Amino acid sequence: MLEAVRVSKAFGEVRALDEVTLTVAPGELYCLLGANGAGKTTLVNLFLGFLAPTAGEVRIAGQDVARHPLESKRDVAYIPEQVVLYGVLTGVENLRFFAELATGERQTRARLLELLTEVGLDPRAADQRVATYSKGMRQKVGIAIAFAKQARALLLDEPTSGLDPHAANEFSQLLERARSSGVAILTTTHDLFHAKRSGTRVGIMKRGRLVAELATSELSHADLESLYLQHMSA
Amino acid sequence: MNRALLIARRDLTDFARGGRLYWAGGLILVLVATSLVVGWQRQRESRAERTRAQALDYGDWIRQPERHPHDAAHQGMHVFKPEPALSIVDPGIVPFVGSTLWLGAHRQTEVKFRPAQDATGLQRFGSLSPAWAAQILGPLLVILLGFSAFSAEREHGTLRQMLSLGVSRSQLLWGKALALGGGLGLVLVPAGLLAGIAVIVAAEPSARGDAFSRLLGLAAGYGAYLGIFIFLSLGVSALASSSRLALVSLLAFWIVVALVAPRSVADVSRSLDPSPSREAFNAALDADLGAATQRASLERFGVRDAFGPGVPLSRWGLALKVHDHAGYGVMDRHFDALWESYARQQRMQEWTGFLLPTIGIRAFSMGVAGTDFAEHRAFSLAAERQRRVMQDIISQDLVDHADGRKEEHFSYRASRALWARVPPFQHQPAAAGAALARNLRSLGMLTLGLLLSATLAALAVSRRRLW
Repeated sequence: MLEAVRVSKAFGEVRALDEVTLTVAPGELYCLLGANGAGKTTLVNLFLGFLAPTAGEVRIAGQDVARHPLESKRDVAYIPEQVVLYGVLTGVENLRFFAELATGERQTRARLLELLTEVGLDPRAADQRVATYSKGMRQKVGIAIAFAKQARALLLDEPTSGLDPHAANEFSQLLERARSSGVAILTTTHDLFHAKRSGTRVGIMKRGRLVAELATSELSHADLESLYLQHMSA
Repeated sequence: MNRALLIARRDLTDFARGGRLYWAGGLILVLVATSLVVGWQRQRESRAERTRAQALDYGDWIRQPERHPHDAAHQGMHVFKPEPALSIVDPGIVPFVGSTLWLGAHRQTEVKFRPAQDATGLQRFGSLSPAWAAQILGPLLVILLGFSAFSAEREHGTLRQMLSLGVSRSQLLWGKALALGGGLGLVLVPAGLLAGIAVIVAAEPSARGDAFSRLLGLAAGYGAYLGIFIFLSLGVSALASSSRLALVSLLAFWIVVALVAPRSVADVSRSLDPSPSREAFNAALDADLGAATQRASLERFGVRDAFGPGVPLSRWGLALKVHDHAGYGVMDRHFDALWESYARQQRMQEWTGFLLPTIGIRAFSMGVAGTDFAEHRAFSLAAERQRRVMQDIISQDLVDHADGRKEEHFSYRASRALWARVPPFQHQPAAAGAALARNLRSLGMLTLGLLLSATLAALAVSRRRLW
């Protein structure tokens, strides 16, 4: 579903990505680990078409993102570290706007409320302006947008960063629901615990290269931590 | 729903809830409404005054006692420029060139009673009218609403969110443009409707169709003008690294285009193609008139001075006629040259309209409103034709009735029937179609400006790093 084939990206002399190849299949939650500046967000930006690869190809559902920037986004939803919404609009208004923008179809209020309930947003908050929302509430609206779009792939850039443990747990559960329904998920994170618990596979990036890739079922949390630290210090 | 419409609807909600539209737009609406009331009142008083004065003046002419016709020609008559219905919307150059001409013997006269002669520079700048509000404050409103259209979304991250959903750049641009146009429309459409109603009510019933056509023309011109600022604001907002930079850049452009350029471009056009000073113009005209009349006198009477001892009083009326006719061509040539120099300066300014749209819309607006220089020139020419009719009737009457009295020439007294042979002054301003056709260059420049700004905006939003 999500494919990067020998993708490189250079910013002048700096090589942000160096021949990275990875695939995320439907029903898979791929956690991309790495220090700041390792190239994780650059890879997400390439999938979103915000950057053009210097070499290689990035595909979503078989569509080359560089050649088909709009078509390739039909199947994907993006949730950044901070889900940004319009503060002057309410939760339901934000969801309506982004959902209609994503689907091109009119969304009924009942459907929007159902989506917000599905992601665990307190129904009383639905008609409050988003300016009053916590980060966790905004992340839930972000997931609701992805659900409204019925995206077959999710791109997440450190989505649980800054969330309290309860909110992070709720968020992880939502991701698990999406994954188990066949959505392909690629998420960047610094949270090894989250990666081990939620991910089906992890990849470790260092200085633009994918230096390790393994299934979480094959290793314990301690193994993952030691492997990660080993790569970071190498 | 179409994505561009969705974006437009959201942005309009933002304008409405953010308050910028209410404050800035409300202020403009108040200014336009005030200027309409003031303009309507001024036009009503001015029209009534002119109609009264025109009737009074012609009445004075008709009621002259029996007298020597040349004395009557020296009394002359005044003619008053009809005030077009759309002067409520755009008074144009009317306050600066005056509205009354005195038609007397021998010499074409310039317009009298120029209110601007008594006005300070500040008053001239701030002569409030709906056109001034739309030309100067309209772009400011566009800038205030639009400077952050892309830059703020980029700063907040919502632009990235929208682009990630597969919204195309053109949908974004059209959505933003529609929102800006819609926001502006919320302010300017009611203002335009108010102005339109005022104009239609003020127009003579027979001239309402003409006034309506002019209003449509103005709507097209102002649409193109404000469209330039809409796309420019969007383009700059998409290019600028921050909202603050976008605002500062756009305000700087507004100051240059709306406040500085109209004056400086006029100065430049005058220095590139100077018009003669009043003194130089009068001196050259006097010299050529003197030469032409001397030549005509020499040909007709064999002497240089038709009114000297060489020409008997029995030919005094004929001498007047020869003298006057010799001057017509000279005056035509001098006044044409003067007016052509003004027209060339005006054209030079109009060519800058695509880069300096305030100059373009100003020319187009007053042209379509019928308050421009071309209309003033047409009035002056019509007045001169009237003066010549009066002069020719009188001179011919002297030839027919006074010259035969020989030495008793000046004892001749014409009856009131002669005064009545001079018709009342009638001047019909150019029709809407002609006014529009005359101002196609300005409209073309505005359209070119609109295309350029739309291209700039399209290029700006097509940048990969828009987010």
